[in-house]
Amino acid sequence: MFKRILIANRGEIAVRIARACRELGIAPLAVYSEADRVAPHVRVAERAACIGPASSRESYLNIDAILEAARTLGADAIHPGYGFLAENADFARAVGAGGLTFIGPSADAIAAMGDKTKARAIVSAAGVPVVPAVEDFAGGATALRTAAAQLGFPVLIKAAAGGGGKGMRIVRSAAELDDAFAAAGREAAAAFGDPRLYLERYFDRPRHIEVQILADRHNAIVHLGERECSIQRRYQKIIEESPAAILSPALRARLTAAAIAAARSVAYENAGTVEFLVTQAGEFFFLEMNTRLQVEHPVTEWVSGVDLVQAQIRVAAGEPLWLDQAALTPRGHAIECRIYAEDPAQQFLPSPGHIALLREPQGPGVRVDSGIAADYDVPVHYDPLLAKLSVWGADRETARQRLIVALREYAVLGMPTNIAFLIAVAEHPAFAAGDTHTHFISEHLQGWRPSSRHADLAAVAAAVHALLAAGTAPSAATPKAASPWQTLGGWRLGRGR
Amino acid sequence: MQRAYRIGARRLTLAVQRAAADRFTVSVDGTPTEVEATLIDPSTVRIIVDGVAHTLPVVGVAGTYHVAIAGEAYVLTPEATGATAAEHSSVLAVPQIVAPMPGKVLQVLVQPGQQVAAGDGLLILEAMKMEHRIVAEAPATVHAVHVEAGQMVDAGTVLVELEYKDGTRS
Repeated sequence: MFKRILIANRGEIAVRIARACRELGIAPLAVYSEADRVAPHVRVAERAACIGPASSRESYLNIDAILEAARTLGADAIHPGYGFLAENADFARAVGAGGLTFIGPSADAIAAMGDKTKARAIVSAAGVPVVPAVEDFAGGATALRTAAAQLGFPVLIKAAAGGGGKGMRIVRSAAELDDAFAAAGREAAAAFGDPRLYLERYFDRPRHIEVQILADRHNAIVHLGERECSIQRRYQKIIEESPAAILSPALRARLTAAAIAAARSVAYENAGTVEFLVTQAGEFFFLEMNTRLQVEHPVTEWVSGVDLVQAQIRVAAGEPLWLDQAALTPRGHAIECRIYAEDPAQQFLPSPGHIALLREPQGPGVRVDSGIAADYDVPVHYDPLLAKLSVWGADRETARQRLIVALREYAVLGMPTNIAFLIAVAEHPAFAAGDTHTHFISEHLQGWRPSSRHADLAAVAAAVHALLAAGTAPSAATPKAASPWQTLGGWRLGRGR
Repeated sequence: MQRAYRIGARRLTLAVQRAAADRFTVSVDGTPTEVEATLIDPSTVRIIVDGVAHTLPVVGVAGTYHVAIAGEAYVLTPEATGATAAEHSSVLAVPQIVAPMPGKVLQVLVQPGQQVAAGDGLLILEAMKMEHRIVAEAPATVHAVHVEAGQMVDAGTVLVELEYKDGTRS
């Protein structure tokens, strides 16, 4: 087993991986950019090294700096987390060439699945259905138009090298095609260093269902059931659950078999996720395979009882798979939601800032994977994901009620977050009924605005807090003496001075 | 004396009178409420209003109050007390083309003097790895452009000034 694992990531996932390392008796090592010197993922590490300036290109995407840090800190393996270099085959190869173990699949498997067009061809040859798509635009704008017409609008533009919504655009008419294509290309180039795009047939109200795979180095492979991630905004998941809200045993069997076939087609090892689009008619198509740990892995951990990060480390160390497919029966239901620094009332624009107050929910069946802390500045340079709240219940409705209560308990003050919006989704009758699809938010919550139902109570709380706090803390010792309730000399409200 | 605050789009006035150590009369927009209140820790108050107890996180940052209630975050921003309601509404009515978040100007799509229609792109801002298209909300003439491609901007930075068809300037 490894002695020291370098975690080539930041935020909540780096904190989560560090925990798994500690539980296995392995020392977690952190890397950080100049913007992350005091970030939570640095605080939980045994040792840490600075790998460059704030810009992720110069730090968390800087392969040489990360390998140098691994050597300096004495790592014998590297866990890439998700995002950044997690699906970069060159990185996986360089880690191996440096005599270290990459905790993930082989560089060849990453490369095969990382090129979305190549991946489609490979899994299609293995008998897995794929979404109708066109990927050759050698003829420039004319070829693009022909391709779009051939598929029929609406079409979806996707980045050949990417995922996570970056470089993705839905195009509903030929008039929008050129602009969308150019913008998606720029975004793909900035995010992945590869501007290549492809066009895909776009389905109405599909569901996003993915299958968790775990494979060892000795040709053994199991699936850990499915996750449904249909609740998305900006093509990014915000609520995920396992099992899927509604899925027949027959379709589940076909999906999981297809997922294993897709993974086997690239001789996959370690943890991975095969994503499918499931149409209203019950057809399903391979979308892509994520050759890494998934953001939403906690819901699978809840219902399967398998610690996926520990499992990744163990199979990377060469341990034969200890799980038996027949014994892997999901227990209960889990739902996760992503807490973002973003403003749902302003098209979900990122809203980084200072966390003035943080209260995380607690209780049975409640888990918080957090990358933030009180009195912490959320950097503007990275993804606005702050934390993930996941809950478990004996059935979906129990889990949903628990999620709502936990979200109401969650307090992140100082910047806009999506917490109130997540409550609105969880409370929606369509979500309660399991009528989930990827257009859920645009269909049910378009134009959502935060409520003002408790505005009077908030005003009352602020007013009495000001006087109570002024009474307990001498103004000279008040750290943030900016409150007008405290700084205006002997001024008191309502005294008619 | 009372103070004026804004919560979202709403402007309200607030006055407090302390009757006893833990008893207050708080008037919101002139309507008084009797409140029993205790400070549990420096950023938590327990208040009892109409017999119902609420334990609420409250934090003050530079004169602005943030209160969390059942998963919702309320922000009370102080307003200058001298301004009249009319002045306030006129200030709020003028749309401003400011950076909605810190980020990098990727591309400026307009020039001074140019006519734009509602929904036309003014510039593209990149923040947190995503591109955001900033658009005109109404037909207008571009009066001035204050940023250039490649420039980093803070939230609230004025990016573009527009002159709307009705003569108002952003």
